[in-house]
Amino acid sequence: MTLLTYRSAAIDIEPGEDVLSALLRAEIDAPHSCRAGVCQTCLHRAVEGAPPAAAQEGLTEAQKAQGYFLACVCVPKTPLTVIPTDEAAARSEVIVRAIDRLSGDVARLYLEHGPDFSYRPGQFLELITPEGLGRHYSIASVPEEDPHVELHIRLHRGGRMSGFVSEQLSPGDRLHVAGPLGTCFYEGVDPGQPLTLVGAGTGLAPLMGILRDALRRGHHGPIRLYHGARERAGLYLHDPLEALAAKRENFTYVPRALSDPGPEGGDVAAAVLEQELALKETAFFLCGGERLVGRLKRDLFMKGASLKQIRSDVFLAAN
Amino acid sequence: MPTLYERLGGAPAVDAAVDIFYRRVLADGRIARFFDNVNMEEQIAKQKSFLTMAFGGPNKYTGKDMREAHKKLVAKGLNDMHVDAVVENLSSTLRQLGVNEKDVLEVAALANSVRADVLNR
Ligand SMILES: Cc1cc2nc3c(=O)[nH]c(=O)nc-3n(C[C@H](O)[C@H](O)[C@H](O)COP(=O)(O)OP(=O)(O)OC[C@H]3O[C@@H](n4cnc5c(N)ncnc54)[C@H](O)[C@@H]3O)c2cc1C
Ligand code: HEM
Ligand code: FES
Repeated sequence: MTLLTYRSAAIDIEPGEDVLSALLRAEIDAPHSCRAGVCQTCLHRAVEGAPPAAAQEGLTEAQKAQGYFLACVCVPKTPLTVIPTDEAAARSEVIVRAIDRLSGDVARLYLEHGPDFSYRPGQFLELITPEGLGRHYSIASVPEEDPHVELHIRLHRGGRMSGFVSEQLSPGDRLHVAGPLGTCFYEGVDPGQPLTLVGAGTGLAPLMGILRDALRRGHHGPIRLYHGARERAGLYLHDPLEALAAKRENFTYVPRALSDPGPEGGDVAAAVLEQELALKETAFFLCGGERLVGRLKRDLFMKGASLKQIRSDVFLAAN
Repeated sequence: MPTLYERLGGAPAVDAAVDIFYRRVLADGRIARFFDNVNMEEQIAKQKSFLTMAFGGPNKYTGKDMREAHKKLVAKGLNDMHVDAVVENLSSTLRQLGVNEKDVLEVAALANSVRADVLNR
């Protein structure tokens, strides 16, 4: 009987040895840093067997439930099959149910999925074309309320997935998705704590999922959603969000369009830094391009926000 | 007798210290440039590794690991002044957290003990 399997290869592990040391000894290039269960660089996922509780200390409940563990402090007592975290995404088939436009260059996609695809709003998935082109998109829907997965796809000129979605895809088509992935969702937030959501462009997609998830889970602290766009037309859910803000006492919507001279014009990051005052107490979610997310995260941190309370997804372009 | 790492509070103490320490380092004009990585999560992970080690935690680092980790920085001009600055920020972080002076000195001594490896001398 082998105590440790990596993907499908049996790995030699000595009594009392941790999984990370065994992987490194087998010349597997496993990422690591502190080797003391603190930094979480050595995160792996067990797909068979249960890692000891000591190897899951400090992880979120969601991660524990999915079998994630820290290899450097994992001394297995029972057989374990482990994989690196970037391979953790399972593939499944989806059917396109509807495609429409949220604005001139943002498409909305509804996908029907099977029961094996379970997700939290704000996570993302990899959308895969029949030719095998894969791109990541964040999930705007809420599984308990919506029959289909909802994606917002910005149509970049010359973009390959953008072209596929706008020119080739039609309702009824079958596609593959991998995932869900990511930890940018409503978890570990206190329901009474201030919650601030900031996104630019289609960075609004995960925030819509997180917002609705927070509300249905009874979040009663103040919620502020900042949405930035270049032009006014890019504030593509302006009216429904304004209506929601009028209805919900604890919800505020702050739209900012860069080229707009009016009161809803200007830079969204500047609006956040000016209006957010309870930085230490607030849970932040930042989604969108690298320029917005990277800069804002640093600025909020330096002004006193706790890094642990800043969750973010950067919409990196595929290389 | 509890070890220094246990006295300081172990992994949760590292978690409590890392925000304060990293914020101080980024605000310190003498050393900020070495740490200003676009990927803050990655930097925080490294900071935690540093703090765990400085707190006398159960790392398995060798002198060679320390040489490797800082080789690129030495090429960019890392010297004694920068180590002093890091140790200073570390000490003031601990004081801010209410750690007693004896333990602060012990942590500083531990950090100083790897100076030669960090500077690849
Ligand atoms: C975690 C994650 C979540 C994401 N979620 C979403 C989402 O919810 N909605 C969404 O629309 N996108 C999202 N993205 C981005 C998405 O995965 C693709 O990168 C994007 O749709 C472009 O793909 P493409 O095939 O159309 O363009 P490509 O063929 O990959 O690129 C074509 C050209 O467009 C340029 N380009 C690509 N992306 C950008 C950009 N962001 N800004 C400016 N120029 C760009 C490229 O440099 C290239 O020149 C996410 C990315 C990540 C990593
Ligand atoms: C004082 C003694 C020091 C100790 C004990 C120490 C310890 C460490 C440790 C444990 C790591 C993580 C290594 C890894 O897992 O990759 C690290 C990385 C790092 N250290 Fe130090 N360090 C010291 C001094 C310094 C100084 C003076 C600087 C710069 C001013 C510095 C800058 C860095 C940087 C930038 C990294 C990250 C390197 C990377 O990204 O790979 N360190 N250090
Ligand atoms: S290497 Fe830091 S937690 Fe495992």
